[in-house]
Amino acid sequence: MPPKWRFRKADPSLANSKSFMKVMHVLKTMNQKISVFLILFGIGYLYLSYNLKEYPYVPVDSDLVPKALGYLLVGLAVLLFFDKSSETEEQKKKRSVPKKELMVILAVGGMIFLYIFLFEIVGFLIATALFIFFCSWFLGYNRWVSNLLVSLIFPSVLYYLFNYLLQIRLPQGILPF
Amino acid sequence: MGALDGLMQGFQVAFSLQGIMFVLIGVVTGTLIGMMPGLGPISAIAIMIPVTYGMDPSTALVMMAGVYYGAVFGGSTSSILLNAPGISGTVATAFDGYPMAQRGEAGKALAIAAISSFTGGTVSVVLLMLFAPALAQVAVSFGPPQYFALMFLGLTAISSLSEGSTIKALISATLGFIAATIGMDAQTGTTRFTFGTPNLIEGIDFLVIALGLFAIAEVCFLIINRKDKSLSKQSDIGNLKLSKEDLKEMKGPMTRQSFLGFILGVLPGAGATIASFIGYITEKRIAKKPEEFGKGSVRGVAAPETANNAATSGAFVPLLSLGIPGSGTTAVMLGAFLVLGIQPGPLLVQDRPEVFWGIIASMYIGNVFLLILNLPLIPYIAKILKISRPMLISLVIIFSLIGVYSISFSTFDLYLLLIFGVIGYLMRLFSFPAAPFILAFILGGMMEQALRQALTASGGNLAILVSDPISISLLIVSALSFVVPLIRIRKKDVTQD
Repeated sequence: MPPKWRFRKADPSLANSKSFMKVMHVLKTMNQKISVFLILFGIGYLYLSYNLKEYPYVPVDSDLVPKALGYLLVGLAVLLFFDKSSETEEQKKKRSVPKKELMVILAVGGMIFLYIFLFEIVGFLIATALFIFFCSWFLGYNRWVSNLLVSLIFPSVLYYLFNYLLQIRLPQGILPF
Repeated sequence: MGALDGLMQGFQVAFSLQGIMFVLIGVVTGTLIGMMPGLGPISAIAIMIPVTYGMDPSTALVMMAGVYYGAVFGGSTSSILLNAPGISGTVATAFDGYPMAQRGEAGKALAIAAISSFTGGTVSVVLLMLFAPALAQVAVSFGPPQYFALMFLGLTAISSLSEGSTIKALISATLGFIAATIGMDAQTGTTRFTFGTPNLIEGIDFLVIALGLFAIAEVCFLIINRKDKSLSKQSDIGNLKLSKEDLKEMKGPMTRQSFLGFILGVLPGAGATIASFIGYITEKRIAKKPEEFGKGSVRGVAAPETANNAATSGAFVPLLSLGIPGSGTTAVMLGAFLVLGIQPGPLLVQDRPEVFWGIIASMYIGNVFLLILNLPLIPYIAKILKISRPMLISLVIIFSLIGVYSISFSTFDLYLLLIFGVIGYLMRLFSFPAAPFILAFILGGMMEQALRQALTASGGNLAILVSDPISISLLIVSALSFVVPLIRIRKKDVTQD
C-alpha cells in the first residue's frame, strides 16, 4: 500500500494535461477499438450459443434468443466501428483519468477483493471493521479517533441488526458471537 | 354491501387505537427495513410474518400493508443519496434523484419522492377500491403474447434512455439482455453460459447488476474526485421546501403516473419496477424539455416514485380479488394471509369484509403516516451526505457488499458485484449508458419467456403475437414511441432552418 502523501503531492493539472494528450491521440480509433472487442465478444457468445443442447420437438429452443442476441451485438458493433459521430468535450474529459488516481482505484479494488476473500473466513465483524478503517485511511481520512469509532460501531450495529433482529445470518467467522 | 358502507367498516378497523398503532408500526419498520441494503418489501414482509402470530387477522394485515409500502418508500432514499438502489423498483429514481442530490438539493429530491409516493399511493388506493374486481378479470386475460407486447413496449424505451449515441445505448441494452440469458432456461432446463459453475445456474441476481453498475461504478468517480473542492456543494442538503414551480412541474407526472403505475401494478409480473421505468420514460417522452432528464429533473424523480407506489397498490388487486399473487412480494403477502387463516379471493369481500376493507382503509392512513413521518425526518436522513468523502466511500462499498450478501449468502456473488462494478466504470468511461443495460436485463428475461411460451402454444406460428386487440395495441404504441420522437426531431430541424 503506497503511503498517501505520494499521490497527494502530484500536481493534478500536470497529470491531467498529459493523459489528456494521450487520450486525444488514441481517440480516433477508440470507438473502433471497442467495436473490435465487442465483435470478438459477440462471436464467442455465438459460439457458445451454437453449442447449447438442443431438444427435439421443441418449437422454440433455448438457443433461439441467444443466437439472435449474438448476431444483434455483432451487427451493432460493426455499426459502431463506422460510427462517425464524435464525442462531446465533456465525454472526452471524463476519460482522462490521471494514472495515479487509477492506481488508487485499483488499490481500493484490491482491498474489496481481499475483503470478500476474508469475509467468510474471519467473519463479517472483523473483516468489515478492518476494511472501513484501512480504506478510509488510505483515501485520506486522517481523524484517527472517529475512524476507529466508526469502524467499530458501524459493523457492530449492522451485525446486531442483521443477525439478531432480522434473522439474516452474516458470517460469524472466528468470533464466538 | 356497497363500497361506501364497506369502507366505513374498514375505517372502523383501521381507525381504532389498535389499528392506528399497528399501521404506524408497520410503516416505520417497513421504511427502516427498506432503507437497509438489499432488503426490499419481500424481505420486510417475510421478516414481519412471525411478529403477527396470534394477532387479530385484520389488525395484522393492516400492519403488513403498512410494512409493504413503507419498504417501497424506504428503498428510494439510498437511490437518491448514494446512487445505490436497494431494490429494483427504485432504480429509475436514481436517474434524476442522484444528480439532484449532487447539485446540493438532496432535501428537495427526498421531499419530491415523499410527496409523489404519497400521491401515487393515495390515488391508486381509490382506484383499487373502485375497480378491483373488474380489473382483476382483465389481468387474468393477459397471456404470453400480451406480455411479450408489454415487455416490447418497455424495451422500445431504450432509445430515449440514451445520452447521445443511440448505437451505444442499443449495444448496452444487448449486453444487458445477454446477461439475462445466463443461467438455467426455465422451459427446457438447459443451463446456458454457466461455464459449469453451479453458482450461475439461477442466473445473475438483479441486485448484483444494479449495485455494480450504479453504486460501485459511482464509487470509482467518488474516489477520483474525493479531494475536489468544487464538489463540496454535494454535502449540502438544500432547502426542503418546494417552490410553486416545482409543485407545478410535479403535478403532471403525478397525475398520469398514478393511473399508469396502478394499471401496470395490476398486471401479474409487471409490478413496481416496470411501472417506474415506464413512468420515467413516458414522462421523458412527453416532456417539453426532455434534455433535463438524467440531470436532476423534478419530473424525473416524481414520475418513477409516483409510479412505483401506485403499482404497489395495484398489485393488491389480483391478490385481494382473485387470490393470485402477481409478484414475489404479493406472494409473500399471500403467505402472510394464509398464516393468519385468511384465504384471499373472490369470496373475501363477502366472508371477511372487515379484512378486505380494513386493508384498503389502512392504506389511506398508511400513506398519510408515511408523509407525516418522512418529511420531518428528511434532514436527518440526508445527513449521510455530510460524512467525509473517504469515509462515505468505504461505507457505500460495505453497503453494496452486504446488500448482495444478504440475499444470496455467497461470496461468489460478491466477486460478481466487483466485476460488474468494473464493467460499469468502463461503460461510463466510454460513454455507454448503464440504464439501457439494466432495463434490458430486467425485461429481457421476461420477454424471452413470454415469446417462447407464446410460440410454443402456437406451434411456432408468429401470428399469435398479433392475434388479439391488447397485444396489437401495445405493439402499435411501441412502434409509435419509436417513430414519434423522430418526427419531433424532424420538425425541430425544419423550424430551425
